Amino acid sequence: MVHKAPRKSAAKITRQAASTVTHPASAQVIRDLHERMVRIRLFETEAGKLMEAGKLPGFLHLYVGQEAVAAGVMTALRDDDQITSTHRGHGHAVAKGVSFRHMYAELYGRVTGACLGRGGSMHINDVTLGMLGANGIVGAGIPIAVGAAFAARYKGEDSVAVTFFGDGATNIGAFHEAANMAAILRLPVIFICENNGYAEFTPQSKHMLITDVADRAASYGMPSVIVDGMDAVAVHHAAAEAVERARAGEGPMMIEAKTYRYYDHQGVKGLRHPYRSDAEVEEWKARDAIDLLEARALADGTATRAELDDTWQRTRDAIAEAIAYAEASPLPDTADLLLNVYSG
Amino acid sequence: MAVEVLLPKIGLTMQEGTIDEWLVPVGAFVSEGDALLRLATDKVDVDVEAEAGGLFHPVVPAGATVPAGALIGWLLADGEQPPGPAGTPMPAEPGTTGAPEPAHQAVPAAPPSANGSHVPSVDGAAARNGHHGRGAGGRLLSSPNARRVAAEAGVDLGAVRGTGPGGRIVSEDVEDFLAAASVQAAQASAALPGEPATLPDEPAALLGESVTPVSPLVRRLAKERGIDLAGVQGTGVGGRIRRADLDAVPAAPKPAAAPAPAPAPAPAPTSEPAAARRPSRAVAGAPQPGDVLPFTGMRGTIARRMHASLQEMAQLTHGYEVRMDAVVALRAQLKQEWADSGLPVPSLNDFLVKAAALALRAHPLLNAAVHEDGVHLVEDIHVGFAVAVPNGLLVPVIEDAAALPLTELARRSRELAESARAGRISPARLEGATFTVTSLGGYGVDFFTPVINPGNVAILGVGRLRDGVEWVDDQPRRTRVLTLSLTFDHRAVDGAPAAEFLRTVAALLGKPLRLLV
Amino acid sequence: MTTISEAPAAAQDGTARKLTYVKAFNEGLAQAMREDENVFVAGEDVAGYGGVFRMFDNLLDEFGPRRMIDTPISEAALVGLGVGAAARGLRPVVDLMFMDFIGVCLDQIVNQAAKMKYMFGGAVSVPLTITTASGAGLGAAAQHSQSLEAWLAHVPGLKVVMPCDAYTAKGLTVSAIRDDNPVVVMLNKVLLGSKSEVPEQIYGIPLGQAHTARQGSDVTVIALGRMVGEALAAADELAAEGIEVEVIDPRTVQPLDTETMIASVRRTNRALVVHEAVTFGGLGGEIAAQIQDAAFDYLDAPVLRIGAPFSPVPFSPVLEKAYVPDQARIVQGCRRLLERS
Repeated sequence: MVHKAPRKSAAKITRQAASTVTHPASAQVIRDLHERMVRIRLFETEAGKLMEAGKLPGFLHLYVGQEAVAAGVMTALRDDDQITSTHRGHGHAVAKGVSFRHMYAELYGRVTGACLGRGGSMHINDVTLGMLGANGIVGAGIPIAVGAAFAARYKGEDSVAVTFFGDGATNIGAFHEAANMAAILRLPVIFICENNGYAEFTPQSKHMLITDVADRAASYGMPSVIVDGMDAVAVHHAAAEAVERARAGEGPMMIEAKTYRYYDHQGVKGLRHPYRSDAEVEEWKARDAIDLLEARALADGTATRAELDDTWQRTRDAIAEAIAYAEASPLPDTADLLLNVYSG
Repeated sequence: MAVEVLLPKIGLTMQEGTIDEWLVPVGAFVSEGDALLRLATDKVDVDVEAEAGGLFHPVVPAGATVPAGALIGWLLADGEQPPGPAGTPMPAEPGTTGAPEPAHQAVPAAPPSANGSHVPSVDGAAARNGHHGRGAGGRLLSSPNARRVAAEAGVDLGAVRGTGPGGRIVSEDVEDFLAAASVQAAQASAALPGEPATLPDEPAALLGESVTPVSPLVRRLAKERGIDLAGVQGTGVGGRIRRADLDAVPAAPKPAAAPAPAPAPAPAPTSEPAAARRPSRAVAGAPQPGDVLPFTGMRGTIARRMHASLQEMAQLTHGYEVRMDAVVALRAQLKQEWADSGLPVPSLNDFLVKAAALALRAHPLLNAAVHEDGVHLVEDIHVGFAVAVPNGLLVPVIEDAAALPLTELARRSRELAESARAGRISPARLEGATFTVTSLGGYGVDFFTPVINPGNVAILGVGRLRDGVEWVDDQPRRTRVLTLSLTFDHRAVDGAPAAEFLRTVAALLGKPLRLLV
Repeated sequence: MTTISEAPAAAQDGTARKLTYVKAFNEGLAQAMREDENVFVAGEDVAGYGGVFRMFDNLLDEFGPRRMIDTPISEAALVGLGVGAAARGLRPVVDLMFMDFIGVCLDQIVNQAAKMKYMFGGAVSVPLTITTASGAGLGAAAQHSQSLEAWLAHVPGLKVVMPCDAYTAKGLTVSAIRDDNPVVVMLNKVLLGSKSEVPEQIYGIPLGQAHTARQGSDVTVIALGRMVGEALAAADELAAEGIEVEVIDPRTVQPLDTETMIASVRRTNRALVVHEAVTFGGLGGEIAAQIQDAAFDYLDAPVLRIGAPFSPVPFSPVLEKAYVPDQARIVQGCRRLLERS
């Protein structure tokens, strides 16, 4: 059964159903989803403030608006499952459990950062948590996830690999090569397309003629599903089903999550020619994923307002502590300029 | 602890000396007593020994003329740097990094115009800018390695002929230049008359070799083994000498150790064995038209001193014919009578030295030195006599010549001449002449104008022993005569006293028995 | 003099025999796979067909489809698979068939494999081996004949080896697989059938160590890949004239053992670099620069570069022969360096 995405008519395509329209979810999943989404939201909004304050070098591609996708997928994964991410990777990292301290310190270019200050925003990783890195090259993480899935099967493990990418990345060759490779090798890879409607500043209608990226999966013999990317529970269920399939050795699957990027492609607010209307942004914000999940939790009694507020407050505190940690951290020593260029 | 190497003062009058050649490479370890450098003074070329052991580090290049007592180098401990600004940086050992700072910098070579990413042209058609590799603007083209090697050896690149592409001086050119210098030094020791005191412009000619290329390796090995490449039959393409060819040649002692052979003026054909050909190098290395013979070493000394002599003094020359019949007859008699005695038969020259010495006793004005305050008459009578040597001439001194029996004088003169020709005369033996006798009689010269050695006031030239005529009652009678040429400094001696001196000499030669004792 | 002077003890023990370059590669790969269960091979036609150059002959029989993986013609996904698998602890060998195809997967090599360890703060290693056939001389024309080592050697994080004969084909391949970094093994197509002494047992040749293939005193020739053989032949020719050429085979061009070259040039005072790649922007320029940097005062001539002209590799054999540097051009180059009037 196909979940119908908001504002997009995708129902015409028949795919394997991911879940029912009304997704049942345990209180634990709801609370887990909520906590991960709040952590992403606050991490990103604080990062945006730091950037606007001129405290962070380099680029910042904020994930705000898309939290339900990262949270929904990650709540369906184990720690030994691997993910590859994108230039907009903070949300995936936070959701996979990478520490605030390591992340902020990396944004600050400190030696205590996730990359020892060598990578920056677009390369945050934590291989102990299966986070095989954000990536500065659009689409480049997709084949790597295929390799990670290959390794899991080669070693006889039942872990899976999940690769996140945007709608724009599906126009790049590596996506198609990797999708076909994963399919022909029947590898446990889950392809998560976070369709936020824009390839940088170019709307989807101007960079592909199809409406649903998920259509592309069919050409590789890969099942796919479209989910409401603002519905964390829906994403969670779709991901859980795909993961189960992959673990069972049934090969890869694609999930297209229709979602939206609140901030600009880069930074908080673009200064250039407006490429989308305020009305469009407001329309999506009206269906904010965190608001939707909190409303549902309050409605079905999964959580109280106080509990939810407590989550926000605890997260704010943790973030403030992490930023202080980052700012107090030493800068890399220029004597170590050649550190880790090579192994051995 | 760094030990200074100072230019030794050899003899009383030495003011300065020229470092003809450093005999050990830069950075080499020398032991006390090792020959360190070849020194040219105004009197003599000598090897100077190290007074201590250590790693050798020169601070002046070969060819430099410096005052006696000047710092010319250091003997250093391992790893030690030469102290103070006087020391130039120690050139790095090959194989280490750290490029040496050249002791004196030649202009760097202009880089070749490299437009070339494409198939390189390998025809070597670089523009040839002439004999010395002068680039645009007259820059001396030389490779970095040539500059390094030259700096280490103290060679002035301006004196080196470039044979590399475009006439660039490459290191082999410097090595050839140095090899030529060492061959030349060896020849100096070999007592070949007429050898110029200069480095030849064409090293290959010195080696008695046509310009067949020899690889740097072969050249190095030959140098190491003391092999004269001129005597090696090359089996490579175009007669090129290969490494294997050297292996067939037994290692020879360094040419410097060669004994003094008799002069052999004829050029030797290349088919002669190497050992027999060594003297021929002198001929092969004779100066060619167009060469420049620099004023270095003895040549420079002679030039300076003779010029100074003529500039400072008021010189004029008397010619005076003397009868030699009695001396000739006495010598013939002594030759017969002393044939088995072991006594040296005095030469004609010995008679003249003795005669002059005795005459000086009677004419002390000619045994004097001119100083600012006047003419200083000198008590001692030390007579120098000129000996032709390959690089010029040397003047060994017979001290107290007037007091010596002629046999003793003869023995000393023979000894001194031999060691002068062999290049091993002690500088002390060249010191302190108060008067000089010089002979060109052997060359067929009757009369000439000798130039007074600075410090003296007169010099006696001896001409050819020849037949003269004596008129006895209108009858001609054959006699033996020669002409004396007395140059004197008119500041100290007038014409008449000079003539009287000559008359005394003539009288002594007329009664030579007096000279014997 | 065209010898490998430092073959391991086995060569003297009589356990070495003559093998072709491609067989030696195949043997080294098979032994490395036996040595380490984590080594697998992926690429186009590597399993069922044994590789278009027979590089992977018989490996499917021994190691089975789990470790010998035929993939679609998808170089980006192929290398990416290698990167991901390597990051997860395997030692992939991925084959790019022709080096010219590297363009379609350069991102995975240059931005992913090469940089992952560095950008991840050292958290992962990428022990990935990329094998590929390079070089001109077989009439394969401009898209199947290039030598692109300079592209790769320019990228920090990559290693690049260029075997010049069967012995090095095996030893360098084994070392590449054992190395914890991404290593590109540039096999040479023309040399695939050439034979040399190869020990039977597994052995590695240290990466980043140049080999003095011939000692000489007059000029140093630094030759890459197939040019090593040409340089040795040139050295033989020049030896007849009394010119002693020292031939240095870097073997690994990244990291490059410049010390060996510089020490040699300090002795010979003249250097020539020869490679198949076009001269402009080639490694000859890098090597020349390093030599002048460290041995400027030891040079008697500018360092001479010999490479291909700045054009694509031509197809017609007569053009191709004129294009690729050879013994004659090396001889000419040496003469030019040693020219004295």
